[in-house]
Amino acid sequence: MSDLDDPDRVWPTGLTIRESEELHKHVIDGARVFFVISLIAHTLVYMYSPWLK
Amino acid sequence: MNRASRFMMRQWIGMGTRFLPFADAATPDLPLSRLLRLSLFQVAVGMALTLLIGTLNRVMIVELHVPASLVGAMIALPLLFAPFRAVIGHKSDHHRSELGWRRVPFIYRGAMLQFGGLAILPFALLVLAHLGDSADAPAWVGQAAAALAFLLVGAGLHTVQTVGLALATDLAAPESRPKVVGLMYVMLLVGMIASALLFGAMLADFTPGRLVQVIQASAVLTVVLIGVAAWKQEPRRSTSRLPQPVPPDFRTAWTGFLAGDRALNFLLVTGIGTMAFTMEDVLLEPYGGQVLGLAVGQTTRLTATLAIGGIAGFGVASRVLARGYDPLRLACIGVVLGIPAFAAVILAQPLASVLLFAAGTAAIGAGAGLFGHGTLTATMNRAPPGQVGLALGAWGASQATAAGLGVALGGVIRDLVAAVSRNPASGYHAVYGLEIVLLFVTLATAAPLLVATSRSAGRSHGGSPGGAGIIQEGRAI
Repeated sequence: MSDLDDPDRVWPTGLTIRESEELHKHVIDGARVFFVISLIAHTLVYMYSPWLK
Repeated sequence: MNRASRFMMRQWIGMGTRFLPFADAATPDLPLSRLLRLSLFQVAVGMALTLLIGTLNRVMIVELHVPASLVGAMIALPLLFAPFRAVIGHKSDHHRSELGWRRVPFIYRGAMLQFGGLAILPFALLVLAHLGDSADAPAWVGQAAAALAFLLVGAGLHTVQTVGLALATDLAAPESRPKVVGLMYVMLLVGMIASALLFGAMLADFTPGRLVQVIQASAVLTVVLIGVAAWKQEPRRSTSRLPQPVPPDFRTAWTGFLAGDRALNFLLVTGIGTMAFTMEDVLLEPYGGQVLGLAVGQTTRLTATLAIGGIAGFGVASRVLARGYDPLRLACIGVVLGIPAFAAVILAQPLASVLLFAAGTAAIGAGAGLFGHGTLTATMNRAPPGQVGLALGAWGASQATAAGLGVALGGVIRDLVAAVSRNPASGYHAVYGLEIVLLFVTLATAAPLLVATSRSAGRSHGGSPGGAGIIQEGRAI
């Protein structure tokens, strides 16, 4: 069965629901990591110079 | 077209691409532009290594006045992650992805870890040094934050390098692998040298703000370089709807890997040889200054001599291995070259010969280049099908752990022997002497492997253990 005949694929991107879920998981994981990193970085900056006063 | 241009064109046609570095590493499936783009991950790794081992080492001690013991502990932290390279390689071999990728998800995670570590690193260092308003902060906050930053950068760079090399092995045809390995090594060196010069120039007028700018710029550059390197490189495998076989757990895969084709023996050769070639890494410059009385400019040129020797080694190795020479045998030639090289460095002191010292240093670089290139190419060729990531992870784990231990041990032995004998020269000579011993041990460990390779080549080619047999073996794998 070619990709074009695959009923699970959603066009125009041609991704399946499961593929898009995995893509979304990577984006969400990345956003979580960046959030935690920024939280730690902001805490350290506050300790070094509170709001850059 | 004028006469001069016509003349030049004839010259170019005559030369072809012989003088275009690494043009012959490319194949129709993997053109040079794509290969060069892929190798950018090594530039990012080189940049992080220079920052951790070189630049920040100095900045923490000289500018931030952090105790040297604490700096040593922080710099050693990324090394803790090195043994996990084998696990990461194994996981990437068996990663199940709806998108059909095995390597890209790991490169993405590795890049995020490296970015995250570099993003918090400058602030962690400022709090660690109790600068600004952080003077009253408890000491553990700065220590914990700096440790976390160093660990994150270490985890990121080990992940990116392991999986990036596995992706390069996946993409390169067996016959072009030696050239690809050469290119990857050179790009790592390029990343290290360029970033050392850039960091040095940008941190010349040191301020805390400048430190934040430089490290965070390198964080952004890391994501850009790794993103460009991995963009559309890995083909998507079609994912079957049928139930997939359960992938082996790491323990089973590791036991199976060690049982096959003398893998443990090969890892020992890599580890002991790497340690032999790295113990002098941070000792050559002080040896030149303290014992031979060279000026700072001269000793800096010495480090360049070591790097040039290394690049020459990679160049020769790429050329020779592409013609079918056995990579393990070439690695052993590198080891053999190292023995007189270290002897020359030792003899430079009693003979008071700077020339002998420089020649020895260049030969050490060349030997290490041949050894590193040979073992990495051998790893790629020996990797069992479906275990490319595990094999490269094991090589990286053995190599990185041995290099870290080698540098640390070199310093400790130098200090101990010099303190006991009250003679600075004997401290250095003890380290170089031990390196010669380790090189002999490497040769002894490699001997059974060489015999086995010659025998198998002899069997498959009617008793002629030549290079052609080895190429065949590499292709069959």
